[in-house]
Parts: sequence; C-alpha cells; structure tokens
Amino acid sequence: MTSEIKPLPFRGAAKYVLDEELARIVNISMALEMPLLLKGEPGTGKTMLAHAIAESLKMPLIVLNVKSSMKLVDALYQYDTLTRLNDSRFGDSKRDVSNIEEYIRMGRIGQAFVSEVRTVLLIDEIDKADTDFQDDMLDVLDQMQFDIIEIDKTMAARHRPVIVITSNAKKDLSDPFLGRCNFHHIAFPDTDMMRRIIGVHFPDLSKDLADACLAVFYRLREFRGIEKKPATRELLNWIRALRADPDFNARTLSSGTVPYLGVLFKKSGDLSLAAQQACRGR
Amino acid sequence: MFVEFFYTLRKRGIPVSPTSFLRLQKALSLGLVAGIDDFYTAARCILVKSERYFDLYDQTFAHCFRGAALAEDFSEVELADAVRSLLEEWLKSPEELAAALGLSKEAVGQMTPEELVRYFLDRLKDQDGAHHGGSRWIGTKGTSPVGHSGHHPGGMRVGGASRGKSAIKVAMERRYRDYTQQGPLTEVQMGEALKRLRRMVPSGPKDVVNVDKTVYETIRNGGEIEIVFDRHLADRLKVILMIDNGGWSMDPYIDLVQTLFNYARSQFKDLTIYYFHNTVYSRVWLDPTRHHKPELIEEFVRKDPETRLVFVGDASMAPYELMHADGALYVGQREMQASIDRLMFLAGIFRHSAWLNPQPESDWTGTWSIGRIREIFPMFELSLDGLEKAVQHLRSRN
Repeated sequence: MTSEIKPLPFRGAAKYVLDEELARIVNISMALEMPLLLKGEPGTGKTMLAHAIAESLKMPLIVLNVKSSMKLVDALYQYDTLTRLNDSRFGDSKRDVSNIEEYIRMGRIGQAFVSEVRTVLLIDEIDKADTDFQDDMLDVLDQMQFDIIEIDKTMAARHRPVIVITSNAKKDLSDPFLGRCNFHHIAFPDTDMMRRIIGVHFPDLSKDLADACLAVFYRLREFRGIEKKPATRELLNWIRALRADPDFNARTLSSGTVPYLGVLFKKSGDLSLAAQQACRGR
Repeated sequence: MFVEFFYTLRKRGIPVSPTSFLRLQKALSLGLVAGIDDFYTAARCILVKSERYFDLYDQTFAHCFRGAALAEDFSEVELADAVRSLLEEWLKSPEELAAALGLSKEAVGQMTPEELVRYFLDRLKDQDGAHHGGSRWIGTKGTSPVGHSGHHPGGMRVGGASRGKSAIKVAMERRYRDYTQQGPLTEVQMGEALKRLRRMVPSGPKDVVNVDKTVYETIRNGGEIEIVFDRHLADRLKVILMIDNGGWSMDPYIDLVQTLFNYARSQFKDLTIYYFHNTVYSRVWLDPTRHHKPELIEEFVRKDPETRLVFVGDASMAPYELMHADGALYVGQREMQASIDRLMFLAGIFRHSAWLNPQPESDWTGTWSIGRIREIFPMFELSLDGLEKAVQHLRSRN
C-alpha cells in the first residue's frame, strides 16, 4: 500500500530559504508518515513550503484549496450522474453505462491516492472548513483509504502522500485533529533570514538597497494599531515594485519617504495609519 | 526513554498525549534523531500542538536536558510583571501614579524608574498575605490607591481584571494571559462565532443542476432527458443592528463595538445599522451623529418580522431615563411614551432579538436598568462566549 520511505531528505528549493529546524521537521514528518500542520502569520511561506518540497523531491504537487462550503466527499471523488444519464439516453460514447466506475472522478485527495508516484498533497487553509470536515478528512488521511459508496469499493492509497496542511486560524483546531498531525509554527523571519530570502529572490539586488529596504520594512512592522502587518510576501512584492520604478533610488528610502505603501498595507485603515506614522517618523 | 521528560511536560501543563509520545519513540527507533538538536525539534513538532506552549516547552527542555533550574514559584516573574505594569502606568499618567503612591507629583518626577520600582516593592513587602478592603495595602476593593478595583479614583491597577484576588495573585496567572477569552475580540474570532447565524435561501439565477430531480423528471419523461436547475443557496439573513454610540458610558467599548460593526458590515448582505443614545425613544438614527436621518420607531412595523434585531449597548442609565415618559436626556426632546414601552414595542415586532452588552456579565446585577432591559431582550455578554450564546438564541426560535 505505502511505498518504502524515500531516503532522499528535503533540503530546500531554489526559491525557498529553509531554516534547519523546519527541514528537520519536514523530514521527520515524512519518515513518520504524518501530516504536517503549519501555522504562522499570513505571508510567512506556509504554502510555499509545500511547493518547495514538491520541487526539491521531484514529486507532483496536488493542492486542495479548502472552501467553507466544501464537503469532504468533494475532495475525495465525484460521481458524474449527468454524463451517465446522457450516455444512457444517447449511447454514443465509448463508456460503458452499466459500469458506474467509469463515471467516478477523483477529487484532490483521491488523485493523490491513485497517483502512480508519491505526491505532495497540500491542504491549504484548513481552518476555513468546519470542524466536522477537518476531523473526517483526518480519518481518511489516517486510514489512507476511503469508500466510494456508488460502486461499493474501497480506494486505498498506492503511495502515502506527503501531506502538508496550513492554517491561519488564531484558535486551535480540534484535539483529535491535532493528535494526528505534527505541528510547527513558522515564526516571522528575523533580519538575517530575511536578507537571505531577499538574496534568493533578487540575486542582483545591491546590499545597500537591501539593507535600506529591510530597515524600513521592520520599522513599518512596528507601527501601532496595524491589523495586518506586512509579511515576507508583501516585502518581496514591495521590492519588486521599487525596482520597477525607474525614478527610485536608495536615497529616497533613507530620507524617510516610503513609496508604494499600498503594496505593504492591504487594509485601508492600516494604510492610512501607516501613512500618518511614516510621515511622523521623517 | 525520556519518560520523565514526558511527565515533566505534562506536569508543566502541556497537553501531551501518550499516543504522540509513542510516536516520538517510533521516530527515535527509526534513527531519525541524531543529536540533541534533532531531538529538540522532533519532540516539539510531535508532542506540542500549539505555539502557545513553545515557551513552556523550551523551559522544560532546558530543565530536563541542560539542567537548568525550573522556576518553581513564579515570584520573580510576577514582580517583573507588576513592575512593568507599574512603569506603563507611570508613563501614561504620572499625576495619577503620584497620587496612587501617596507622593507628590514632583517627588515622583525626581525619582528614577529604579527608585520608583523600589518604593513600590518596599510597599509590597510590608504586606503579608492577601489583603482586601483595607485602606493602606495593595489589594483589591479597598480604598488604598495601589491595587485594582479600589474606590480611589487614581487607583493603580496591577495585573489582570479578575475580581476578589490580590493583584499579585492575578499577575501570577500570567501563563493564561495570552490566550484568555477576555482579550479583545478580533474580527476572526467574531467571524467564528457569527458564522452559524445564517439563513440559506435560494437566490440568483437557476444555475445549479438538481441531480435527483433531473433523474426523476427524466424517467417520468420516458427516458427523454429533462434537466432540472435550481437556484444557488445564499445567505439572505436580514439583520438590524442598533448601536449605542452616545455618551461616555460606551467609550471604553468603542474598539469592541467597532470590530463587531466591521465584521457585520462585511458579512451580512442585508444589514441596517441604527444609532441611539443610552436607550430608544421615539426615533433612532441612520447616521452616527444622530442628527440627519432619523427614523421613527413606528416605522419598524413595516419591516420583515423575520429580521434579527441586535442591540449593542451597555444598557446602563438612570431609572427615569428608561421608565419616565419624558425621560430623554436632551432638553427639548418631548416624548409621549417611556423608553421601556418603545423597547417592548420593538421586541413585539421582531421575534428574534438579542441585546449584546460589552460589560462583563458579573457587573450586570449592579445596574438597575440592565435588569429591566433583560426582561425584554435576552442579554448576552459581548465576548466570544456571549456571542456564541446569542447566535444560538437567535437561531433557536426559528
């Protein structure tokens, strides 16, 4: 059912700067065949981690974006009644109408189970769904099999996928859920880590400019009353915006002006607060 | 292996399950753990399920494997905590602090922070044991200026908001501070609580195939395909939010109400917000300044009785404001009916109603008008817990 543990350890990917601790955690979760639950501020690279694992271990990535209205069965499989009805009426397809199995389509989790090779399954923003969905899903992932009631067949995973689950929730997930996962909280990167991250994304960025950007960025994060603090993603986009501006140079930053605040602060309240405080700091 | 470590973790209050401990053993036996750093990371990601325990885990780990002393009692920490709040208080209002410590403002001004803290600590040491209701020592409910919930107007607050405990006791509970539900409600938390307050009704174009009906109709049709479409289910709950935005009595709760307001505005499609001051008289207002767009209470008869009516206010006022026909605060505002009759009128129109009170429930009994209003509208605390109950109430009488 499950493949032997791949000896290949995860060491990070081209565009993802991995700290050692996280690498260890990923490798342990893979070896123990446990889902890894990641929490942390939005924009700290929870989702990117799954992409990086897939890239570095050369496994296909399957993403399940959880929605609030989602039912578990949608993630597992779908029985296409309408096509079958259509085929039974017109009979012009190559499918065998009496064989229901031909009308079963796999959902994301199902795809990961039937895949020929071991996959990385990213279950993104699990906290959006209600608690029942979460617990039921973990049951499926624990057993590594589910039933398709329409054809009375049990689907078992050929290879146990590497499962990464992300959550933005402030409040905890249910205990049975947590009991089945390994847990890691991605802390906000410190300046050194951030400098490496910038280095990976903008290899040609001058050191002075990077330092100036970082100084401004960490100062902006300290502003009072900000609801959604800018994170790594915002910083990278901001640097991208600065570089796209032909009139921009590092001196602008050191004089205290912060261009493109809108890239960093996404809520109108935050933006006006930040604009005020940025002026004051000049 | 490491059984003692496991029990120390449990003793320190980290909920570690035996299953996860066995899993750690499995990780060890698989040869995944090469050194103490590996062990630290592995044990944490397998055993600890929430970042709020990370700090505690670090302490315990250091104790078990590096021989660091585990702080058995928290006294140093608490004092540091108390000192910090003292300094915060000092920064906010030096005058009040001066009064609180029984020193002149100039004397406080001349003290360095260290001296100030020492003075405070000396005074703490004089106290032997919890002391409530006295006139000199730090405690609660007393007239001594240093402490919490005292009568002294400049009373300094040490530690949390818990009643009937000495301030230092409250400070001792620092471990719970980060995640108690007393903290300000965030929009996310409100969303969690209000999510279930929904009424799904079909709306919009018919664009969802109803499979069961399609099969049924097709067979009725003798095998000729008949596809049946349905409307999407969407939330069509109507909500009227009445917010008390007048007067100083609501001032401490502005942030809280603001959050609720923001959430409600983004969440409910059909939301009307009215404003009033203290209580409802002949009219409420659509604009926060309560001036331009008044709406007569009688007009509410025309609204859908299925609308959920939610009041937000502290419901605290003088008895005559509520009971007297001419009780309105504003000179020149003539009223025909007492406010309490207006409230009963509204409660009669809308079957589903609730009153959210930002004051903690424990304080309600002290205010006479709260008792009267509770007889008309079910009242809930504006906290995560209270919202949860209010939502349950608003749903239950469907």
